[in-house]
Amino acid sequence: MIGRLTLSLLLAALAAPAQPIPDRPEKLSYPPVAFQVPRAKDFKVKLKNGVTAFLAPHGKEGTPLVRLSLSWRGGAYLDPVGKEGLAQMFGSQLAQGGTRQLDASKLEDRLEAMAATLSSMNGDTSGNLSLQALDSDFPEALGLFMQVLTEPAFGQDRLDLAKRQARQALGRRNDAVTSIASYQMGYLLSGEKHFSSAAPTAASLEAISREDLLGLHARLLHPANLVVAVSGSFERKAMTETLQRTLGSLKPGPAAQASPKVPGPDFARTPGLYLTDKEAPQAMVQWAFPGLRRSDPDWHAAVVMNQILGAGGFTSRLMKKIRSDEGLTYGVRTALGTGAHWRGDLTGGLQTKNRSVAYALRLALAEMERLKAEPVGAAELAVIKDGLVEAFPTGWGGPQAIAGRFAEEALLGWPEDWWADYREKIQAVTPADVQRMAKKLLDPDRLVVLAVGKASEMGPGDPDHPGALKDVVRLPSFKLPLRDPLTLKPLP
Amino acid sequence: MRIPGNLTAPALMLVALGGTAQSLPIVEKTLSNGMRLVMVERHDQPTLSLGWMARVGSANEGPGITGLAHLFEHMMFKGTRTIGTTDARRDAELNALQDKVQAGIRTEMSVLREKQRRGEIADMMDPKARTPRLQQLLGEFDALVKEQRTLVVKDEMDKIYTQAGGTGLNASTSQDRTFYITGLPSNKLELWMWLESDRLANPVFREFYSERDVILEERRQTLESRPGGLVGEAFNAMTWAASPYHWEVIGWPSDIAQVTREAANAFFATYYAPNNITAILVGDLDPAKTVALAERYFGRIPANPKGVPEITTLEPAQPAEQRMLAEVETTPSIQMEFKTVPAVHRDAPALQALAGILGGAPMFMGRPGAGGMRPPTGRLNKALVLEQKVATSASAFARGQKLGGTFTLRATPVPGTPPSDLEARLVAEVDRVVKEGVTAEELARFQKASKVGFYGRLESNAGIRETLSSFLATGTLQDFQDAPRRIEAITREDVQRVARQYLVRNARNVLITTRKGGPPEGMPRRRPGQPGQEVK
Repeated sequence: MIGRLTLSLLLAALAAPAQPIPDRPEKLSYPPVAFQVPRAKDFKVKLKNGVTAFLAPHGKEGTPLVRLSLSWRGGAYLDPVGKEGLAQMFGSQLAQGGTRQLDASKLEDRLEAMAATLSSMNGDTSGNLSLQALDSDFPEALGLFMQVLTEPAFGQDRLDLAKRQARQALGRRNDAVTSIASYQMGYLLSGEKHFSSAAPTAASLEAISREDLLGLHARLLHPANLVVAVSGSFERKAMTETLQRTLGSLKPGPAAQASPKVPGPDFARTPGLYLTDKEAPQAMVQWAFPGLRRSDPDWHAAVVMNQILGAGGFTSRLMKKIRSDEGLTYGVRTALGTGAHWRGDLTGGLQTKNRSVAYALRLALAEMERLKAEPVGAAELAVIKDGLVEAFPTGWGGPQAIAGRFAEEALLGWPEDWWADYREKIQAVTPADVQRMAKKLLDPDRLVVLAVGKASEMGPGDPDHPGALKDVVRLPSFKLPLRDPLTLKPLP
Repeated sequence: MRIPGNLTAPALMLVALGGTAQSLPIVEKTLSNGMRLVMVERHDQPTLSLGWMARVGSANEGPGITGLAHLFEHMMFKGTRTIGTTDARRDAELNALQDKVQAGIRTEMSVLREKQRRGEIADMMDPKARTPRLQQLLGEFDALVKEQRTLVVKDEMDKIYTQAGGTGLNASTSQDRTFYITGLPSNKLELWMWLESDRLANPVFREFYSERDVILEERRQTLESRPGGLVGEAFNAMTWAASPYHWEVIGWPSDIAQVTREAANAFFATYYAPNNITAILVGDLDPAKTVALAERYFGRIPANPKGVPEITTLEPAQPAEQRMLAEVETTPSIQMEFKTVPAVHRDAPALQALAGILGGAPMFMGRPGAGGMRPPTGRLNKALVLEQKVATSASAFARGQKLGGTFTLRATPVPGTPPSDLEARLVAEVDRVVKEGVTAEELARFQKASKVGFYGRLESNAGIRETLSSFLATGTLQDFQDAPRRIEAITREDVQRVARQYLVRNARNVLITTRKGGPPEGMPRRRPGQPGQEVK
């Protein structure tokens, strides 16, 4: 209903003596706002088969929707050699391939009648099966969810279609500088053999059979691999009982296995400047330094350093310099890899017209050197730290985000109270910490730089800003050929 | 957009059923200067999703200033007389000096333009083509920029919001509106009032000329580098002949490179007066206090009594089918587009239903981390993908904008089948609706999916803000409130009628894309008995 302010309320508000507007926003003062970090134990339920579930019913203002997500450990790192893409295909087909009782079309029909959404996916290290339904339809929708989870059919017809679609997607690998950079960077950072870079080929897709999907399903469906998140319109007690009866009653089948630890890459990088020639109006530049694990005592200092350098949008130095000052790019950003299973990387990238690549890189590298050479000023550091701390509650905005975050941490085996003192640890970071992290992480001798674009224009650079690419990055330079999009063999 | 993302607002594919919209506690209020406030009170989280929308977009431009609404959106982050500089007086002098040098540069660019017109140079933007005078002026300009940079407090507005816990500070420009948004902790409402009213009351478009370069890079990144991007721009221009939807929001490159600060000033004076602005505030707020604060901060900005010029150009009825055959480095595809009606038109809901039934329930989950994608389950998918096995995807959607709308059919053929083979099959599905109509069950399912989709959009403060902005960009708050009833009221006859009325041959715009330089999706592998034969 369109509310109307009652006249008296409005008059009261307007009648208050008009205060002057302060001449600077810093002169405003604010009432405190209390935010308690949600505690995992308030949401956690242990199901009788040992599976952990996080239940976050909504408050007064929710809608009549329920969201259920079951996640599991296991993914592309389990793909056998020659069947790269198996986990991904499993993820796409679990929800789409029908069940032993309902073929795919009948299953879709039942879901569509409820306007319920059932979807699945599987990534490198984990996957999930997710359901969204109206609360009134939830019991029936959950029945279908359980059917899909426990007796998926992986219908051959749908698998054939998915393989055709996947093959088409492979065919687009060399169409854009972004997708080229993505596979090239994978090989440069993790080598050819590690799962994180070993992408599917036409042949590996072809080799994947329905039996492989059934086999992976039988293997993954072990209570030790599973974590549940539910959010939305329900009562905690009733939902707990429902989950005990369904997901809590799952027992490991004969082929089920607890998924093994995710292996890190066993690969020695060759630092250098790598160039891939591609006719394009704009080049893609990416770089990477070895980073940290999230368990590292220096993690929070690294987060702050990265935020100052490039992760904070317009508040970061790279954006100010390369975009705002020089107009060389639409966006430049760095990211500190979460290092969930092994050491992450500190990566960055930007797109710019081919002839600006050298100048933009020169500016980026100079900003990194400055961060190592000079301690960050108190005011700049305060902006970054306050920003991370003040924006912290937004990251927990709503039941779905809360249940999802706890489930994700549980899946990784991370301490569930990890976020409890996050704000204090961020506030404790000093200028000396930032400088120390810059020196530790931004090591030019361990830098890998990739530029994908028109080599004849990238090499010489911009007449307005002299400096050839090879003089900007003082590392050995390599030509990196495109790969055949279907076989991933380097092209001549 | 100011930060990489999609340039235009997503097509409006929602709607709802009774109950939802009505249950939102919406308060609407017009300030003394004509600025409108729409507030939704929600106290579950101590946060606010805030935004204000100027009713101006690329449709308010014309030749020579295409892209200005969007460039302007970028300029609104460059500061004010207070924010963004340490010396407002010298800053203003430098801006005036820059404008003067730029006037000289324009004179030189005219010389180059004439040379290009006569074929004496190939590209007036090529640094090698510059005249000595131009090179000198560029040097002078550079010196002025360098001096100004010593006074600029870089991206100060971002800095202030960031330190206050602001998230998602951004803006976006569509054909019909420009929307400036941020999220904040709920105790910082007054900071938003301060900063936003300041940039409406005292804006300074500093760093204007270097921002044009940012936009040219944005254009390269979001349009030119995307396979099919330039073809999409040309196809859109072919589809819309007279309407200002003819050009892309980002504008033609030569306009972006030459637009002046004077043009931007005039644009601001016309379109950014408070009586052309609506603010949307969602979250942990008190409406009465919010109105009082807004009156104090925004109320000081004078209204523009002249109002904004109305867009009077109407797209003429398309007299003949139009086709475009493109070779692009991407998977082959076919797209068929029909111009339809504005979002608030009485036929718009039935066109949404038609798209839902042909294309399948739209993706409403839409939240990252919620799981993978579900393929569309509409008639096109069933016929072309699952039964005939001639396509790997087939979809339909209806888009309603302020001045018009489009209905789009799309399909990707299986390798070995030319995309042109799919045209007759797509048309056959449309004809089936024209002849036989749709079933009561199909319509009911669309209506239920719309309801669930609406719920999905109204779960978060930001979702509510975005949904309201979509409706307010093309209509009024009443349209938002009527949406559930209008979806409920659709009949099977309506759906059949709009298919017959709008999806006609003369109104077709067809884009057939084949892969440039042959198919890496694999050699055409037509085997006897396999689908892929020509169908007429």
